[in-house]
Parts: sequence; structure tokens; C-alpha cells
Amino acid sequence: MARDSTWSRWGTGLVLPLVLLLTWEAIGAMLQSPRTPVPTKIIAAAGVLIASGDLPLAILQSLGRVFGGLMVAVAIALPLGLAMGNSRAVERNVDPVVETFRPIAAIAILPLAILWLGTGTAAAVMIVAYAAFFPLIVNTVAGAKNVHPTLLQAAATMGLSRFTIIRTVVIPAALPSIFVGLRIALAVGWTAIVAAELAVGAKAGGGGSGGIGQMMFIFYAYSIELNRIIVCMIAVGLIALVLDRGLRALMRASMPWVKS
Amino acid sequence: MTSAWLRHAGSAGVYLRTMAVFIGVWWLIALWTANPILLPTPPVVLDAAIGLARDLELFHHAGISLGRMVISITLASLLAVPLGLAMGLSPRFERIVDPTIEVLRPISGIAWIPLALFIFGIGNALPVFIMTYAAFFPIVLGTVLGVRTVDRRLIDAARTMGVPQRTIVTRVVIPAALPSLLVALRVGVALSWTAVVAAELIGAPSGLGYGVEWYRELLMTPQVMSFIAMIGVIGYICDAGVRWLNRHFTPWAAAR
Amino acid sequence: MTATATMTAAASMNANAKLRLTDVTKRFQVRGAPDTVAVDNLTLDVRQGEFLVIVGPSGCGKTTVLNMLAGLDTPSSGTVAIDERVITAPGPDRGVMFQDYALYPWQTVWGNVEFGLRYGPAGNGLDDKARQERVRRTIDLVGLKGAERKYPNQLSGGMRQRTALARLMANEPDVLLMDEPLAALDAQTRIILQDELLRIWGQDRPAAERRTVVFITHAIDEAVFLADRIAVMTTHPGRLKAVIDVPLARPRGDATRALPEFQALTQHIWSLIRDEAYRATVA
Repeated sequence: MARDSTWSRWGTGLVLPLVLLLTWEAIGAMLQSPRTPVPTKIIAAAGVLIASGDLPLAILQSLGRVFGGLMVAVAIALPLGLAMGNSRAVERNVDPVVETFRPIAAIAILPLAILWLGTGTAAAVMIVAYAAFFPLIVNTVAGAKNVHPTLLQAAATMGLSRFTIIRTVVIPAALPSIFVGLRIALAVGWTAIVAAELAVGAKAGGGGSGGIGQMMFIFYAYSIELNRIIVCMIAVGLIALVLDRGLRALMRASMPWVKS
Repeated sequence: MTSAWLRHAGSAGVYLRTMAVFIGVWWLIALWTANPILLPTPPVVLDAAIGLARDLELFHHAGISLGRMVISITLASLLAVPLGLAMGLSPRFERIVDPTIEVLRPISGIAWIPLALFIFGIGNALPVFIMTYAAFFPIVLGTVLGVRTVDRRLIDAARTMGVPQRTIVTRVVIPAALPSLLVALRVGVALSWTAVVAAELIGAPSGLGYGVEWYRELLMTPQVMSFIAMIGVIGYICDAGVRWLNRHFTPWAAAR
Repeated sequence: MTATATMTAAASMNANAKLRLTDVTKRFQVRGAPDTVAVDNLTLDVRQGEFLVIVGPSGCGKTTVLNMLAGLDTPSSGTVAIDERVITAPGPDRGVMFQDYALYPWQTVWGNVEFGLRYGPAGNGLDDKARQERVRRTIDLVGLKGAERKYPNQLSGGMRQRTALARLMANEPDVLLMDEPLAALDAQTRIILQDELLRIWGQDRPAAERRTVVFITHAIDEAVFLADRIAVMTTHPGRLKAVIDVPLARPRGDATRALPEFQALTQHIWSLIRDEAYRATVA
């Protein structure tokens, strides 16, 4: 088998996207309708949106909500999950409620959130927190439970108290699992905020919610700027990637003993 | 047999007890806030749910949402499984196709809604498109993973028996990849079900997501909650369904 | 050392060689590092109907040799041949038993044993009835009667090994290639299956009627018990050090293990590879 140079690998990877983009551009030129989105116009639209500050602002708004919701979720899910992982009694009493609500997606709760908190940031944060809660707690419990019993026994034979064991053995051992949960929670939270902002934008007549989801809806409903919609879609995808890679780097840095 | 029955009865008992506590707390808070729109009491919600069930409205919408999901999963599988097989079997093909998939994957199905609204308008096609898109990616990736992680020795064993390449694909690779595929299907169903709510909330004239939003606009919270509960129930049933498929078709794989 | 090896190898070349390796070298290319020579200039004949065991420390290229005989791999230089025909691809005439059995988990014992006949060329010309008959006979031969409907994850290690053996025997191969098939078993099951293996192979039949076996193992006592001849390999790179005759009478059984000749041979072979084995543990 011939050795693959990195260049040739990059090359084959770019073939299909390039072909698709060129075909798209050509079809757009043929259709000659000014509203048809086309790669070149999309790039132009991106330039406009970034330069005017609209896109960065919307992204920051959405990100802020995601982090806010994530912090709420972590603050509840981590202690609760550790408690559940370490105590059968706690788990038995809390798990049924968690499992009952887990199949209900965050976006289904949105109307309730709007009812309770209005169409602003508070409701958005609540949705993200709800969405992020479940992967966090499921993975925290799993991480706490899957600590190898011999590790716990070794600590016990050294005479450590129960709380010390949790602090020095269970939490570090559960950390990889918790991070997995965090990764999923981040992805789910980002999707949830886009969905929430989109839905609120659709129902609240385009006012007040802010964020990238709402911006997308405005471009759909009011200015019918398809190129700008696509710019937003690409931004959504890029941010998702950046968030994931960033968290993975953080994982590798904070847990050098884990094979990535 | 009896011990299994007892175990199930026991865990059902714990479940009921815990939910009873939850409902009790809910009731207390509802009485304290005394705002039937903000937080109706459990009996009011139950009443609304029964009403919706009795005139079949709840089931009507549930059926529509469920039907959309079945179509979406079928479509997604028909597209994703052959693609995943081809990618898994041919590294060259994978190198050509994979970057495009990886670029599209982070753009969630929900981000497609505005564009899809423009293309399809409000109606049946929109939710199906979004849901198919959402389910497509986990199924493709799961199929690729399943094919790639087929134990090399299983294929070698078939080769040493002189089995021709095509038969190896159908009789060795596909059965060996099936467990991974079904796990991916579970993820696809979950993502698809999440997408259905978002899609119907925004862009469909029917379905459970639509029902939730419809009653919210009417400020009829008990009905809103009934629909939300139904979303949860159906979501659970679908997941249980795929888990059953796992157990039935791949009994040799470790239970997840 | 090399001179002795060449002499021994030359002495073993004869007209009725079933398998022949001639000056076989196998190199593996590793990215960013010099090539690894897994097998270096190996010349060896395997006679028709003999039970040849290859023994040596880890990493000496034993499995590579087997893969080349199976046709799963091709030599970088030199030739590998069966009945004077160069081997280029795997086939049912050279059945392989892998170290972890490679049984199909979704098939029953019956399904596994039938696999090669059903989907491969070994089953050509067999109608359904004849095929079922052969599968039944093979299952009986390996001692799995009654377990036809079981799945691999319901079988013990010994039973899985028998299933793997039955699967390749059903294709009636000329040659059996076995890569440490008994390694995963506990010591007691191992001894029983060594006896079974010799029985199934047909150790009391004349060489012309027996299948040719090439068997790889780490365990020297296992090698001496089973083999007609033992090929001792060294590592880094993999070379043939010596080919030893095992003149112990057949049929062999428990009594054979107690013979002084058995002990002497075991000691002799151990002395040949001891230094290498030691170095492998401290490397």
C-alpha cells in the first residue's frame, strides 16, 4: 500500500466539496434569480455581517446563554450525580424522576419556559440548563458508579473517611465520564439555544430574544435573505466545532492520564 | 420466573412512590403560587389529559408525529446505511466523502429550519426533512464504525474458506456490523424525535409539537403539559422499541 | 549455528514435500522507521501427512510464516508453494485455525461449521442433503454432538476450539494451519484437547492418508507431544534455527509425556531458545 502524504489526503477530501460548490455556483448563475443563494454571495454576505458586528454580537449573545445554562446545569447535576453515584438510596429516589423527563426534549419545554419566564434570556437559559442537565447527570452517575472497587478498597484500607474518599478517589476517577457528559451537554446546549431562539423569534414576532437563532428567523421572515441565513447556519456549525475542539483540548490538558 | 416478576413489581413500586412524591411537591407549589395558568395543579392537568385523550386529539397528533418519525428514520437509513457500508469498506471512498459529512454534521437539523421553511413551506415535508437530516449523521457514522471495527479475523477466516468477496460482505461484514448499526439507530431515533418537536413547533400544522404551541398561545397550560407528557411517553416507547430490536436481532451483542 | 541450520534444512528437503518455503523473507514497512524484517531467508519443507510444529519466542515471525502459508500474506521475496504451486491467495485447501477461534457470533455451532460449505467453493457439487451429512459427521468427529444449536457465547473455551476445528475440517482441507489454538485454554483442558487433536487428525493412520498440519505454539511440551518434527525459530529477525525430529512412537498419549525421551527433547529445545526468551522479558 503506497504511503499517503498528508497533501494527497487533503486533496481527495477537498474534491467533493469543491465539485459541489462549483456546481451550486453554476446552477445559481443559470437560474438568474437574485434571491438564489450562491457560494460567492454567501461569502459576501458573511463579510457584511461580520464587519457590521451583527454576526459576532449574535454569536456572543447565544454563547453567553449557553454558558449560563451550562453553569446552572453543572451546579445541579454534578453534586446530585455524585450523590446518586455514591448512595443507592439517593439514586433510587431521584432516578425515576430523571428518567421520566429525559425523553422530553428541551425544546418541548420551551412553551412552558416562555409562559413562566417570558421571551427573554431567562427562558433561554432555562432551556439550555434543562437540555444540558440530562447528559451531565447520566454521565456523572455512571462515572461515580464505575469507579473500580479496588481503588475504593485501597483508600479504605488506608483509613480515609467517606468524604475524603469521594473527594480524592471518586471525583478524579469519574472525571473522564463527567467530561464526556460535559461534551455532550455543550453540543446539546448549543443546539437547544439555536432552537429556542428560532422558536421564540418565530412566535414573538422577531422581537426581543436576540441571539443567532433569532437572527436566522428574521432573515427568513422579514428580509428573506437566504444568503444570510446560510451564513448563520455555517456559523452555527463552526461554533459547534470550535466548542467541541476547545473542550477536548481542555480535557487533554486537565486529565493527562487519560488516553484521548 | 417469579423472582423476575417480583423484581419488576418492586421497581415499579419504587417508581410509583418517587413519582408520587414528585407530584405531591408539584401540587404544593401549585397551590402556593395559586396561578392556574402558570402552574396548574396535577388533577387539573390529569383532567385535561383525559379530555384530550377522550376526543382522540392527543392520539391524533401523536400518530402524526410518530408517522413522520417512521418515515424519516426509514429515509435516513436507506440513505445512510449503504453510504456507511461503502465508506467503511473502501478507505478511498471514505476519504472523498468524509470531509463533506464532517462539515455538514455540526450544522444541526434545527439550524436548517429557516432555509427549509423557505424551500418547503409549512407542512408535512418540513418536519420530515429536518428529522431525516438529524437521523442521517449518527446512522452513517455508526455504520462506518461498525464496518471498520469488524474483527479482521472473521474476514480472514472466510477468506481461508475460499468465500468470495461479495459473500464476505453480505455474510460476514454486515452481520458483524449490525450491533453497532442498531446502537447508532437508537441515537438517530433520539435525535430525530428531538427534532420533530422543534420542527413542528415552528413549521407544521399538526403533530405534538404543534399541539404544545397551539395550547400555549391559548394559555391553556394543562393541555400544554399533557402534550409535553405525551412527547415524553412516545419518546420512551420509541427508544424501548429500538432496544427491543437490538435484543432481538443481535442477541449476541452485550446489552447496553 | 547457521551452518547447522542449513544442513538440517537441506536434509529435510525431499520429493514428497507438501508445502515448501524457499528463501522466504518478509519485511514490514513502518512509517518513519526502518523496515522490520519479520522473517529472514527461511527455507523449510513440510512433508505430506506430517505434523510440523513451529516453536519460538514471541515476535519471531511464526505467525507471519503461517499467514504466508495460508495466503493471507505474501512474501517480500522467495516463494511459498503447495504441491509445487505457488501460493498467492487463501483457499479451503489450507484451512486455518486462529488463536481466538474467530467464530461467527451470530451463527450457531451448526451454522459456523456449515459456513465454508455453504458459501465457499468447498461446498460446490454438494447438494443440501450431502452438505448436511458432512456437517453432521464433522460435528460428531470433533465431539460436539448435541451442541449444534448453541451459540459461541454459550460455549466453553474447549467447545469453541472444537467448533473452530470442525469449521475448517468440514471443508476437507489438505493442510491444517493452526496458530496457537490451545493458548487460551486452561492447562487441564489443554492436555485433553491435545489428545483430541491427535485423534481427530488421525495419528494412527499412515502419512499418505493424513492431513498435513503446521502448528504454532509457545509451549515446548505441547510441541514435543504433538509433532513429528519441530522447527525452532529465533527472533529479531525471524530465522530458522533448527529442525528437530521427534521419534516418539504413535499413537501418543499420557504415557508418552512420562517417557525420558520426552523430557530430553523438551530440555534440548528449551536450551536452543532459552537465551532469546530471557532477553524478551528484559527488553
